[in-house]
Amino acid sequence: MADKGNSSNPSKKKSMKNFWLWRVASSVKFTVFILLSVALLSIVGTVVEQNRPLETYVMSYGEEWAEFIMTYGLNDMYHATWFTFMLVLLITNIIACTIDRFPSKWKSLLRAKKDFDPSVFERLTRSEEIQIDKNADSAALGVRAILKKKRFKVRESEEGGKNGFYAERGIIGRFGSDFVHLSLLVIILGAILGSFLGYKDYIAILVDGEVEIPNTEIGLRLDNFWIDRYESGQIKQYNSELVVLDKGEEVYKKHIWVNEPMVYKGIRFYQSSWGISWNRIAEAEVTLVKNKVPVGDPVLVDWLDKNEFAGTPFGIKLVGYVSDFAFDMESRTVYSKSGDVENPATMLEVYRNGEVVSTPWTLLHHHGIMATIPGEEGYEVYLTGIRNINYSGISINKDPGTNIVWIGCLIMGLGCYLSFFVYHRRMWIEVAPFNSGVKVKVCGMINKNQMKFDKEFAELLSSIKNIA
Amino acid sequence: MDQPKVVLSLMFFTMAFGFHLATALFYIAHWVFKKKWIGQASTALACVSLFSTSMILVFRAAESGHAPFSNLYESMVLFIWALTLAYLIMEYKYKLRVMGAFVMSIAFISILSAWLLPFRFKSIEQLNPALQNKWDFMVSALTPLGLEKYALGWLDFHVFTTFIGYAAFAIAFGLSIMYLIKVRFEERGRSNVLIDRFPEAKILDEICYQAIAWGFPFLGIGIVSGAVWANEAWGTWWSWDPKETWSLITWLIYAAYLHARVTRGWRGTKSAWLSILGFLAIIFLYWGVSFILPGLHAYA
Ligand code: HEM
Repeated sequence: MADKGNSSNPSKKKSMKNFWLWRVASSVKFTVFILLSVALLSIVGTVVEQNRPLETYVMSYGEEWAEFIMTYGLNDMYHATWFTFMLVLLITNIIACTIDRFPSKWKSLLRAKKDFDPSVFERLTRSEEIQIDKNADSAALGVRAILKKKRFKVRESEEGGKNGFYAERGIIGRFGSDFVHLSLLVIILGAILGSFLGYKDYIAILVDGEVEIPNTEIGLRLDNFWIDRYESGQIKQYNSELVVLDKGEEVYKKHIWVNEPMVYKGIRFYQSSWGISWNRIAEAEVTLVKNKVPVGDPVLVDWLDKNEFAGTPFGIKLVGYVSDFAFDMESRTVYSKSGDVENPATMLEVYRNGEVVSTPWTLLHHHGIMATIPGEEGYEVYLTGIRNINYSGISINKDPGTNIVWIGCLIMGLGCYLSFFVYHRRMWIEVAPFNSGVKVKVCGMINKNQMKFDKEFAELLSSIKNIA
Repeated sequence: MDQPKVVLSLMFFTMAFGFHLATALFYIAHWVFKKKWIGQASTALACVSLFSTSMILVFRAAESGHAPFSNLYESMVLFIWALTLAYLIMEYKYKLRVMGAFVMSIAFISILSAWLLPFRFKSIEQLNPALQNKWDFMVSALTPLGLEKYALGWLDFHVFTTFIGYAAFAIAFGLSIMYLIKVRFEERGRSNVLIDRFPEAKILDEICYQAIAWGFPFLGIGIVSGAVWANEAWGTWWSWDPKETWSLITWLIYAAYLHARVTRGWRGTKSAWLSILGFLAIIFLYWGVSFILPGLHAYA
């Protein structure tokens, strides 16, 4: 491979290139050092769990180490200053390296097309002489035809005259590494843009519920949420039916599931979790009892709706719900201790002849704790069943850098293809009269994959020998 | 699930196990005794091994109803399949059977470790929600034919490309070990019947580079397709999940290899050590991360 190490001619004008810092910054040894350091340091973040609360670290590593972890940002290490600094070093190294090498690489490759230097025949190891019985012109034509057939670009060169020429193929392969390096810059640019211009959010939305989407003018409604299962009972898929609302109007509708997000005006909505609501239910089943014996059938009542116990003066309205009942003595309020359905309770308004007589909390698993209907000896309402409402957890994400990242990846693919699979072969050929026929001097080189070249070179020689 | 089919994939596994053992032994015998017929028999055995691993994959797919890359065991079979295939291509290209003693031994060790896996890593599993990804264009193309369940998606693409990368790196690993041995003998001018049968160190280095020249972009495609998929399933293309991070780490080590190779004086021994380091990182990426580090990935 050409142009590595000290090929940049140490001209006095470019004094910067002799400055030690520049020499380090643009050296490939430094690249190897940085690449390995980034690799090594990245391991830390896979061992120390990321973005956990302080207590987790104190518990697993003890106080001293926890302090160390927090001080050096190991809890969020890929965003820590020192890690970013390593990436900055890498970028600097790529840019410095390119500035250092690219111009001379460009020039040397372009100039080579013009030069026909007869000394190459002595210098190169793959060099061969063939005698054929032909006149010089037709032999030269034949050789050209063979090279063209092998997809070489044949160049006339003044120095060589009309019977000495230079041919090459795959020069673009030389620039593969530059495409790869460029692609890294593009990907990093995309990542930076995404982190500044994009945002991430999460909302929990009840079935039939509506929410405003943060940072936007639009709203979101969940029409349905359900879980598909395999026959074995194992979960197959989570599904949500989403509706986008713009000023209350339906503007877009989509059934999403894990792996199938909804995209609306550059904002993406992902199915990311689900759960059972802790502050609302769809329906409650309530039983009226007298002296602990049910009076008539239980009645069903919808959320914020009323129902009557037939044949009695009593009615109820479902006005509140907590999934894990707890009572705060100080503020004398009821709240849900957790998000789980541990100790569900509803608040009911109890009516007698159409007038509210009490608003008791009734617990599903503990009947008769509160005197539920004052002034009516023996009458109580029991909560005997609930129908939960699911919520769907939707991740919201806007990342305008993503497409730039994909473009970077495509450039990287192109660059890898060029570096690894397009080889630069060069041939120098001279046809000179010799005895009755001509002597064809052939020599050539390749920038990598010598074995492949040796085969090609041998093929080329044998076809030249067979010029009829 | 169809009972007889499960039997078939197990039967082919047993068969593949036996053939891989025989293949490795024959290649080693060929290296030691240098008999032509042993060499030809080794190649033939390698082809049969490839056939049996292909059959495991086919029948696993039929049994589970999805591409057979969804747990550690299935992915090991895929790895062995890719390794054997890549090796046979290389043997054909470079006409060097000595490599087989090393590379096919790696294949045997792999199938041995797949065989030793605890049962829970082998059982057929249904895909969890995050793994259910199919390409829309393929689903819509196959639906009229009633074949939509055979549509592929990012899971299949991601795993497949990654494993071609792994296979190429495994070959590079074998070659680097051969290189390091050979170069010691060359430098000291010593001679040994077995080592003299290796190709020149220069050639080993060149072939090793060729293997990495395949592995590097394929691992790259694997990482990028993983990112595309993560972007669809989780909403971010990169989340520094341990598996992701380790794949980046390995990729960086091989990038270091490529650059060591263009650095004067580092080509050869130093870069061979990097290739070995890279493969150790892959083993950790593949097995270590699954068992030790917590993360979002199902296995590989
Ligand atoms: C993650 C970072 C990097 C990646 C993935 C990368 C990738 C590559 C690839 C794929 C090649 C082609 C290798 C070959 O043809 O065998 C290459 C070559 C090269 N890279 Fe990098 N590179 C990175 C960083 C750098 C940096 C920071 C420098 C700066 C010194 C650098 C300097 C070079 C040079 C001088 C070559 C050889 C060019 C040639 O032979 O044409 N690379 N790089």
